[in-house]
Amino acid sequence: MGGGLNRTRAVAANTFRESVRERVLYNLVFFAILMTLAGLLLGQLSVRQDEKILKDIGLGAMDLFGTVIAVFIGTGLVSKEIERRSLYPLLAKPLSRGEFFLGKFAGLGFTLLVNLAVMLLGLLLTLIATGRRPDAGLLTAVYPIFLGLLLTVAFAMLFSTLTTATLAVVLTVGVVLVGRFADVIRGMREVAPGVPQPIVNALFAIVPNFANFDFKSRVAYGEVVSAGVLGWVTLYAAAWTLIVLGLGLASFRARDFR
Amino acid sequence: MVQPEVGPAVGGASREPALVTKGLSKSYRTGHIIQGRRPALVDLDLEVRRGEILGYVGPNGSGKTTTLKLLTGLLRPDRGEAWVLGEPLASRAWRFRAGYLPEHPYLYDYLTPLEYLDYAGRLFGLARDKRRQRSRELLALVGLERSATLPMRRFSKGMLQRAGLAQALVNDPELLILDEPMSGLDPIGRRLVRDLILRQRQAGKTVLFSTHILSDAETLSDRVAVLRAGRLLKVGALGELLRLDVTHLEVLAAGVEPGAPGLEGLRAERVGDRLRLEVEEGSLGRVVTAIETAGGRVLGVQPVRRTLEDYFFEEMGGAPAGAAARGAGAWGEG
Repeated sequence: MGGGLNRTRAVAANTFRESVRERVLYNLVFFAILMTLAGLLLGQLSVRQDEKILKDIGLGAMDLFGTVIAVFIGTGLVSKEIERRSLYPLLAKPLSRGEFFLGKFAGLGFTLLVNLAVMLLGLLLTLIATGRRPDAGLLTAVYPIFLGLLLTVAFAMLFSTLTTATLAVVLTVGVVLVGRFADVIRGMREVAPGVPQPIVNALFAIVPNFANFDFKSRVAYGEVVSAGVLGWVTLYAAAWTLIVLGLGLASFRARDFR
Repeated sequence: MVQPEVGPAVGGASREPALVTKGLSKSYRTGHIIQGRRPALVDLDLEVRRGEILGYVGPNGSGKTTTLKLLTGLLRPDRGEAWVLGEPLASRAWRFRAGYLPEHPYLYDYLTPLEYLDYAGRLFGLARDKRRQRSRELLALVGLERSATLPMRRFSKGMLQRAGLAQALVNDPELLILDEPMSGLDPIGRRLVRDLILRQRQAGKTVLFSTHILSDAETLSDRVAVLRAGRLLKVGALGELLRLDVTHLEVLAAGVEPGAPGLEGLRAERVGDRLRLEVEEGSLGRVVTAIETAGGRVLGVQPVRRTLEDYFFEEMGGAPAGAAARGAGAWGEG
């Protein structure tokens, strides 16, 4: 058991190192530039207004940059290893496919966590630099963003075990986009009354509702997100992530590496 | 499931085979719309003995890589069983005691070989100090100590092959499974890998390596297994397979013409101003006398043995031009 955990950690550490060396965290530079520009440009607005806009921009950028990394790196995590055959010598070692798969997931998850943490720090520093108080409430928006990104990585990995890297990107982006507009699907009958309710229900059920992870505007406006809500979001994310990751793992386990 | 028989230890060495396969088979799906299956390996019964080097030879597409991938878990067999180091194939336990080098290893561009070996060592649960020490030793062994801290994206194909070999040895394995280990190497690299494989045997390790370069199999192997179209043709010691007796002698002479008195009927080939003659062992004295009588000189006499290449082509149903005329040891790299 301990050995399995150590092997999974070894794969995760290597995945993190890969992300750093492949300059994945360069997006932080763009984020820093964005925050600096936002801070400078918004100085002319009223204090209340620019604080909200600054938080909105910061949280939005965290979500966007994180999603781009989760989709593009997530789909390449396994498919690149298969394509380049770099996983062959690893899987011949006492490393199970499950340990490899989960290690990859954990490694990218950690990369995204570091990425979000640095961006959050950047946002807080920008707030301080422009004379505002750092707001710990931002964490209640960043945490659900992180959960959503983990689910995105799980989808990216699932699709990359089933199809090519390019198609996996398309499918993952599709799921994320549809998931962000899941409430529109639920209300589909209002705009298209002809659509049978079972189809609407099925569509709503097979796509996770990514809007559940979006607390950006509420937090930017200073609303408090309760621990109960965050707990529910955690359970929702955990259930979906476990299911999708489980499907990905089953597909990866069944694969032949020709 | 029947376990392979474990024989009594002889001279301190266990006779338990390092690897046994029974009826191991694999086919690949073909076509997208109308699907069929193409057999890649059919009912492989193979035994690799402890402490031996077994060369696994066959032309491209004969099923060598498929076999090694089945053994290392990269492919799932359709049917059949295998035991590695006394453990069932599906067991994880034997993997702690085995090493594998895939064909054309593609390692991680962004890692240095030192980091890569450390990563491989972690997967075996080696302690940090042990990993560090072992990595340094292995890089020296494969001649990469000067490139230890270079990212592998800068490596040539040969250097990658060496790094791949080092990772296969990181756990000091009892069994080494090598897929075309000499592929892509320059002559120095080939020599290094050959020496390394021979050193493994000296240390009592078992090596199973695939190759389509017959001279490598001939130089290194205690036994060879010949594969064709997914079926095992024959397994045996090289001596048994090749019948290593001298088949004839090759006499190199100068200053004599073909068909000179006493040389009639002999197979002769001009090599510049020299003549190469194929001579039966019993008639060597008579032929040497005939050459000297005709005013010529004997420059050399070389025994000619049947080579693995000769055997291979006979089994494959065709002989390469001039194969029989080549002397032992004067064989191309295939």
